[in-house]
Amino acid sequence: MAKQDAGLSQEIILEVRNLTKRFPGIVACDNISLDIRKGEIYALLGENGAGKSTLASMIFGLYQPDEGQIYIRGQAVSIDSPNEAVALDIGMVHQHFKLVSNYTVAENIILGDEPRKKALGLFPYVDIKSAEARIEQLSRDYGLEVDPRAVIHDLGVSTQQRVEILKMLYRDAEILIFDEPTAMLTPQEIESLLQIIKNLRDQGKTVIFITHKLDEVMEVCDRCAILVRGKLVDISNTADTSPRELASKMVGRDIEFSAKRPTKGMGDTILEVEGLRVEDANGFPKVNDVSFKVHAGEIFAVAGVSGSGQTELADAIAGLAKTKKGDIKLKGHSLSKMNVRKRSEDGIAYIPEDRQSVGLVLDFCLDQNLALKSYYRKPYCKTSLLKPVAFSEHAKGLIDDFDIRCARGPKTITREMSGGNQQKAIVGREIDQGADLLIFVQPTRGLDIGAIMAIRERILDERDKGKAVLLISLELDEVMDLADTIGVMYAGQMLKVAAAADLSMNQVGEFMMGVTGNE
Amino acid sequence: MSSKKSAPQRPDQTDHLPEQSRQALHGFNKALDDATRMVVKGLGAERWQALTIPLLSILLSLLVISVVILAFGNNPLEVFSSILAGAGWFAKSNYGGGQSQLTDLINLATTLTPLLFAALGVVVALRCGLFNIGIAGQMVLAGFIATVFVGYSGMDALVARPLVLVIGVVVGALAGALIGFLKYRFNIHEVVSSIMLNNIFMYVVAYIIKLNYHDPVSRNMRAASSDARLLTDPVHLGEASARLPVGFLLAVIAAFVLWFFLTKTRQGFEMTAVGKSPKAAQYAGIKIGRTVVFAMALSGAMGGLAGVTHYLASVPSIAPNVLPSVGFDGIAVAFLGNAHPLGAVLAATLIATLSTGATYMSSIVGVRQEIAALITGMILLFTACGGYLKSWLENKKSMIADADRAAADRAAGSKGGDGA
Repeated sequence: MAKQDAGLSQEIILEVRNLTKRFPGIVACDNISLDIRKGEIYALLGENGAGKSTLASMIFGLYQPDEGQIYIRGQAVSIDSPNEAVALDIGMVHQHFKLVSNYTVAENIILGDEPRKKALGLFPYVDIKSAEARIEQLSRDYGLEVDPRAVIHDLGVSTQQRVEILKMLYRDAEILIFDEPTAMLTPQEIESLLQIIKNLRDQGKTVIFITHKLDEVMEVCDRCAILVRGKLVDISNTADTSPRELASKMVGRDIEFSAKRPTKGMGDTILEVEGLRVEDANGFPKVNDVSFKVHAGEIFAVAGVSGSGQTELADAIAGLAKTKKGDIKLKGHSLSKMNVRKRSEDGIAYIPEDRQSVGLVLDFCLDQNLALKSYYRKPYCKTSLLKPVAFSEHAKGLIDDFDIRCARGPKTITREMSGGNQQKAIVGREIDQGADLLIFVQPTRGLDIGAIMAIRERILDERDKGKAVLLISLELDEVMDLADTIGVMYAGQMLKVAAAADLSMNQVGEFMMGVTGNE
Repeated sequence: MSSKKSAPQRPDQTDHLPEQSRQALHGFNKALDDATRMVVKGLGAERWQALTIPLLSILLSLLVISVVILAFGNNPLEVFSSILAGAGWFAKSNYGGGQSQLTDLINLATTLTPLLFAALGVVVALRCGLFNIGIAGQMVLAGFIATVFVGYSGMDALVARPLVLVIGVVVGALAGALIGFLKYRFNIHEVVSSIMLNNIFMYVVAYIIKLNYHDPVSRNMRAASSDARLLTDPVHLGEASARLPVGFLLAVIAAFVLWFFLTKTRQGFEMTAVGKSPKAAQYAGIKIGRTVVFAMALSGAMGGLAGVTHYLASVPSIAPNVLPSVGFDGIAVAFLGNAHPLGAVLAATLIATLSTGATYMSSIVGVRQEIAALITGMILLFTACGGYLKSWLENKKSMIADADRAAADRAAGSKGGDGA
């Protein structure tokens, strides 16, 4: 109730009426109508491919609706480009930031809208000083803590995001669109971002918040619209609803939240990493003296903030990154002389972090991608000749098994599938190999809750079948939910390894930030 | 476009117009709608788009060229038909001694052969994500070595001709593999290294020619003996006679073999995977370096075959200090053929027809033969827009499907109402 009183006016600032957008083979937004009040935080909630981003992109002028009308402050408008959106006081923070990395914060913010002055009334120059002063002022007003003179590539992800927010504020945006803003952040960073969003609301800004994370919706949003496969199914006041209710509306069925299930008992050591060191191209250690063991029937989860060396660790085990020092053993024998394919045949399945450029050949058909690790073996290939029937039979099996949604079955071009279904394809392919060790890196990133639960269930199933699982995740919830053993990485080192039962979420969070003092 | 899109949905927009013009507008919209439907129906079948879209591009470019020709005051149909006649597709009004329509076609095949090989070389490299701009250099090198080692040797034709082809394959493959190796081992971009190698091959060959094999009369390299040339002894065809190009059938077979290789074999799968996403290929356990070197070797082998079929069949001998333009035309042909080996066969036929028919056209109609190059350029320009055309078709197709579904729903609804 207090929320309602805190200056939430009844003035409708943005209204969309019967908005429809079609892409070849799919209706991304189907006859969507909603109105957003000035000064509220409005969530667009939905699974992957539900049409949230498409809707926001139409409001920001990136796409033009096929049908329907957008009204800003009661005026019918046609927003043909982001420039027009900015002119209408709309701003957007994209999931992937659009910043020039070797420019300063201030330079990035004024780019395209530079304050000009003329020295001696004659020679034009960009007045960076006044811009910096104004940015500093805005940064103070909204509690953003950004130094306008810092260079972008020196800044962390969350600070870069705040630069994007400043960019909107600098252009006097009134309607601020955030597209999945928490996807790349650590729990602590998410906390402070949500605080910033609340500040923005309290200062009278209107926020459109695109997400599939229910807890965030419950924490900051006033109202939320739920989209399912392009259709608007419900608009709720968050005060009058529960996460469970939202979740079931979002996926159209009831959801079991916690998947926690303890191990049935650990077996032999499957993976043993000893004193591993991996360097980047400049000789800087990305993984430094890391040792641990993963047993059969165990989920070993690696927690850590982004860039702590987890990706390099996984790449080194799979053979994609060079081991500089130390050794990696699978089932007791060293992998050091084995290439990627030998390791895969030896029993390593790997779900990489970057599914689009590493895990899949996007221009291949789904059936080719599903056989990407086995295309050269029988039954897919005999005496160098490919057997298309084997490809599509195998694909059909996995499509059913993993509920991969694809418009044209095995022959669907993978690029045309949604991110969630691409991920399901990779997970299906890797689990299908029957490997002894499964490396999952960010297996549920960017997926909707239905798909997340399905994949987590699969991970637990594999563990229960006696596989060793190395799970690398930036989502602390996921680590806590699934792990039997937790290892925390910080700056390339394995700071702490302990049984999951012995660590609290807060303790893990502290190790993730490199705090070790209070043991 | 917008009027067409909105008119059926919002007929009330035309309310303010007088009845007559409203009807006219409606008729126009309907005609436009019907035309769109026809185009979509004709081209919408995805299976055939690889063929229908380039054909439409060619048609559009011929239309544009027709305007240009009309502006010069000539009849475009006459220009096109005399080009076709010049290339041997139609009968000319009269023939010189020893010539016939059949000999014209054989000439076309002779010109087409190196062009097709060059295009296949580009296609193979493109499949692996590589741009082999070095076909011209590979041609010069292979043609030169074949001429030196077989052309002057006095070997019997039965030995010499296969040997020339083998030299073409081996020399071209080695030259191509060198580019692949430089890329893999030293990370030198293949475009840079192949341009450099083009010049290196061209000047080294020119130097040796001027030193040892110079023909003072033609100022070119001394011609190879006719037993080594990839043309048969003259065959009598009625009154006319012609030498048949040995490489032509080989080039067409090569196109089919490459198509099979690229789409149906393990190595073809690996090359395509590396071409589309090197990172994913590496992740899948494919050896990138080996695949790149192999693809460049295969591409170079095609370049070498283009070289021997060019210098030992379609032209008399190597001109020093000149890169063969066929090597670069092959790039255009490859793109026109949708980077597909069989597409390259059709595209090469078209481009070779334009270039061989242009001389005759010029003598008959009086339009300068450079118009042929203009037509080629225009076709390429429109082909480059093929991607846009494809997505336009997709959009229209889904819009028409929606409209039809809505109409069907309405029809079903009114029927149900009648029943009740």
